[in-house]
Formats: sequence, structure tokens, C-alpha cells
Amino acid sequence: MKVLFTAILLLGIAISTRAVLGHHGWSWTTGKNTELSGVIKKVRLGNPHGILEVAVRDQMWTIEVGQPWRNERAGLKDGDLSEGVEIRVIGEPAADKSDKRLKAERLFLGDREYILYPDRD
Amino acid sequence: MEAFLASLEATAPAQFLRVSRWGYAAVSGTHILGIALLVGAILPLNLRVLGLWPSIPRATLFRVLVPFAATGLLLAVLTGSLLFSVRAQEYAAVGYLQAKVVLVLVGLLSALSIHRADGSMLEGASERRLRFHALFSLGCWLGALACGRLIAFAID
Repeated sequence: MKVLFTAILLLGIAISTRAVLGHHGWSWTTGKNTELSGVIKKVRLGNPHGILEVAVRDQMWTIEVGQPWRNERAGLKDGDLSEGVEIRVIGEPAADKSDKRLKAERLFLGDREYILYPDRD
Repeated sequence: MEAFLASLEATAPAQFLRVSRWGYAAVSGTHILGIALLVGAILPLNLRVLGLWPSIPRATLFRVLVPFAATGLLLAVLTGSLLFSVRAQEYAAVGYLQAKVVLVLVGLLSALSIHRADGSMLEGASERRLRFHALFSLGCWLGALACGRLIAFAID
């Protein structure tokens, strides 16, 4: 039983997470804005976070956009964020540089700006 | 497995929760209520078994708190399944979620087995067995809580 107990605790502590989901808050980002332009390759919108896979030159980036209400408030309509669309994103990248992930504060489709976080620069 | 997870995501509640702001907030809030009831009951139960508040009869505390723990677990499992269904394919790949499910199952099975073996108030169990079980239970439920919280924050 003691072995099982220890094994379970270690399992709980040691397992790492595959970076597929969105993340709460901004604690994991750099605190400084970056701009990325690319083509949307994959879209997963909806609660708790919307996720875009975007080809930026030869690199794939994971872009975290808003939940449905935030995207809607920014003026985005169903289908605006879809595969093949060119997008320019301004937001904070992950502090860990090996994680090609950016949390969007605002984005451009063509010339139109969509502001997800009005209170952030 | 992939097909099962995809069909889970296609269910009506999952589709509703993926787009509903307040629906999602309500389910996620109820999940927290379930965890609060469960862990809030489990902690004093196990601390009593470990020797705190010796003047309070164990059976009295159990009568109040065991139903709270059970109700909390039920709420947390129901709402947790709903939250899982919103992004089943992605969540299934997350190590912290897998660990959490294991901890919840082990915690539940160990609670059921000791209650089955030693009675609803654990009146038949030896002190040694009780203490071991209390530590084990604390490890499972606090571990499950920690793993659950980390799902939202952990980065590779």
C-alpha cells in the first residue's frame, strides 16, 4: 500500500503537460508585445480558450484568442477566423522561447483591427 | 478512443458549453462548489481520524461530513465530465488530467473499500489502519485538487 501511495503522489507531481490547451492569465507570457503575421492552418474556437495554429514563415505558432464572448465583442463573426485566412496578431509570447505560443491582445484581418483586450496595450 | 472523444465533443451539452459564456461559467463554478464541499469535508474527517479534536465523537463528525463529501464528489464528477466534453480530445492528452482521474478513482475506491470493510462510521477498523487510510485519502484528494488546478496553468 505504501508503495502504491508513493507511486500515485509521484505520478501526480512528475507528469508534464503537453502544450495543447490555453492558459489562464498572463503569468506565463513575457510581458512585452510581439507582432506575428501568417496564415491560419487550424482553428479550435470555443470555451475555455480559442486556439489558432498559424504558419508564420516556416514556423508553426499557437495563437490563443478569446472565448466566444470576447471574440464577438471584438467584432469577429463566425467564419472570420478560419483555415487559409491571413492574419496579423499583436500579443504576448510565452516567456519560454521554445514554446511557440502567443496570447493575442488584438489582431488584424486585412486592414480591420479586432481588439480582444481593450485595456491592454 | 479518438472516435469516442470526438463523439463526446459532438454531444449537445458540449456544443452548448463551448459557446455559452454564462453556461460555461455556471458549470465551472459548480465544479468548484463540488471540490469545496468534497475537500472541505475530507480534511476535517481525516484530521479527526489522525487524532485532532479527540473530544468530538468520530461518529458525530462522520454523520455530518460524509454526506457532504459524497455530494461534493458527485457534483464535481458531473460538472467535471461536462467540462471535459467541451475539449475531450485535448484534455485526454494532458498528463495532469490523467493523473487527476487516477487519484480520484483511487481515492474513491479506497474510501468505498474501507467503509465496506469497517462499517459506515469505520467502527470496525484498527487505529493503525485508520491512520494509514487517513493519510492515503489526504494524499489522493489534495493531489487531485492540485493536478486539476494545474491543468489550466501548466506549460511544457
